[in-house]
Amino acid sequence: MSGGAELGFTEHLFKVLVIGDHKVGKTSFVKRYVKNQFYEELKTTIGVDFSMKVIDWDSHTRVRLQLWDIAGQERLRGLNRVFFKRSSGALVVYDMTNGSTLDGALNWKHELDSQVMLKNGRPIPAVLLANKCDETKVCRRNASLLEKLCQEKGFIGWFQTSAKENINVDEAAKFLVKHILQNNEESVKEEEQNMQINLKQQSKSNSTCC
Amino acid sequence: MTVIMDFLSMRSTSTLIAPCVDTVNSRHALCVFFSVGVSEVGIEQAVLHRQQSLPHRPVIPLVARMADQNTSGTPAMSEREASRLDKFRQVLAGPNTDLEELRKLSWSGIPRQVRPITWKLLSGYLPANAERRESTLQRKRQEYFGFIEQYYDSRNDEHHQDTYRQIHIDIPRTNPLIPLFQQASWQEIFERILFIWAIRHPASGYVQGINDLVTPFFVVYVFEYIEEEVENFNVSSLQEEVLRNIEADSFWCMSKLLDGIQDNYTFAQPGIQRKVKALEELVSRIDETVHCHMQQYEVEYLQFAFRWMNNLLMRELPLRCTIRLWDTYQAEPEGFSHFHLYVCAAFLVRWRKEILEEKDFQGLMILLQNLPTMHWGNEEVSVLLAEAYRLKFAFADAPNHYKR
Repeated sequence: MSGGAELGFTEHLFKVLVIGDHKVGKTSFVKRYVKNQFYEELKTTIGVDFSMKVIDWDSHTRVRLQLWDIAGQERLRGLNRVFFKRSSGALVVYDMTNGSTLDGALNWKHELDSQVMLKNGRPIPAVLLANKCDETKVCRRNASLLEKLCQEKGFIGWFQTSAKENINVDEAAKFLVKHILQNNEESVKEEEQNMQINLKQQSKSNSTCC
Repeated sequence: MTVIMDFLSMRSTSTLIAPCVDTVNSRHALCVFFSVGVSEVGIEQAVLHRQQSLPHRPVIPLVARMADQNTSGTPAMSEREASRLDKFRQVLAGPNTDLEELRKLSWSGIPRQVRPITWKLLSGYLPANAERRESTLQRKRQEYFGFIEQYYDSRNDEHHQDTYRQIHIDIPRTNPLIPLFQQASWQEIFERILFIWAIRHPASGYVQGINDLVTPFFVVYVFEYIEEEVENFNVSSLQEEVLRNIEADSFWCMSKLLDGIQDNYTFAQPGIQRKVKALEELVSRIDETVHCHMQQYEVEYLQFAFRWMNNLLMRELPLRCTIRLWDTYQAEPEGFSHFHLYVCAAFLVRWRKEILEEKDFQGLMILLQNLPTMHWGNEEVSVLLAEAYRLKFAFADAPNHYKR
């Protein structure tokens, strides 16, 4: 996942999934985020659309994000295992103007958790995006509902976004990347600890593990 | 039905049809006529271009002028084209069309003037017997509109509303930015065709990608009635009767196509998974360097070739090329279901230089999802088909011919 740390400069490569029901604006979100462009009508995504975003996170960290924009209709098609594997995070999108897509987003989250997890067995970080917020508003009741859903379903947070009006697009992605980086740091530490434990165990007995 | 059986059983003899690389006059294929089906990159560039400066719409080549067509205002046909058209007309003129002969002729491209009838014959929609054609057409068109009467009102019923809603959402996204395909009457036609097909095929239902497959039929059959450029052609200016006929014919021909590849669209899309696997094995045999290069950077075939199979390369090629490709697919036994695999292999290896230049996963994926075919015309498609034919021939009749 992470490149060499020459002179304290680290380069990371993370795979991020963009998932959710069809027509909730996944491709539009990605195009806004990567190219800062918006199109009223895009062709439907078939299978997966791939794009890259390079972020100079700070003076000594560069993050390369591989964005995997998965076709909305693929959920029931049994192909997600191939597309999901080795992902570090996910943006789970629903359309605020179409309530049923929130249920869809929760299904996607469930599917995600059953297919991939972090090395320590925890779910990979996922952010819930309430997209097309230019067309409607999140009322206070909805906001508390979303807050509750995030806790129940294990999202690290939620944002109302608009790919069209460029609202919260960078912020939501940044929030996810921050968590991915934290997880990455933790897993590096855990690995180091494990390695020490293994070394200790190995020195105790000659039995091999891992 | 017998026609379909004949069509399928001809396989062994037809493999001997020699492909003819049709390069004559191919520059005409690049003449701008009207536009659809350019790759997304093309559309983006066009849109960007428009947003930046142009007061008028940029013209993106769509179906363009086929090398072998002759309409008013276009250059006269070459002798070769005229003689090809003559041959088609001779084959089509008799009381019983020799489908085998028609297939041989069609393999290297069908002249625009005779494409609609030839497609209908080759797909098995029209009978070879000329006398029976008119009554067949009438019967099938009535049958289709019978389905509409019987089922279309159920589109908002609970058990069909998801299907209808998805189709309704996808139609404007089938050929975005092309005025012809944004017209309400066009969109209604596509909705009806797709909805009726979906509910009559519950094993697959409507799957994204199928919407693309209506377009070539519709465009080819519309061409039968118009001579002028089509970019801004108003669909509703056609007589209602004509439009209904085009709709029914497109439905039946699309159904015939889908009958042969239905397992592409059933649960978990097994046909596609199998074909992608076959593609991988085939490429590993025909170009190990390319195959290993992709393996080295962990590119999986499913990641890019899923779309190639699901949409029959329509997302990778301009529409004019798809139409030319389908001339051959309809001439070739099991063209859509089997020969397409060899075309995909030839298509991948066609980019071997570009592929080998990419030295990481993302570079490869971005290349493979945006292959620069925007300016492709008949010449490129013909070369591709000839190569696919060569591959098929080289691997034909070996029991495990994809396997190492």
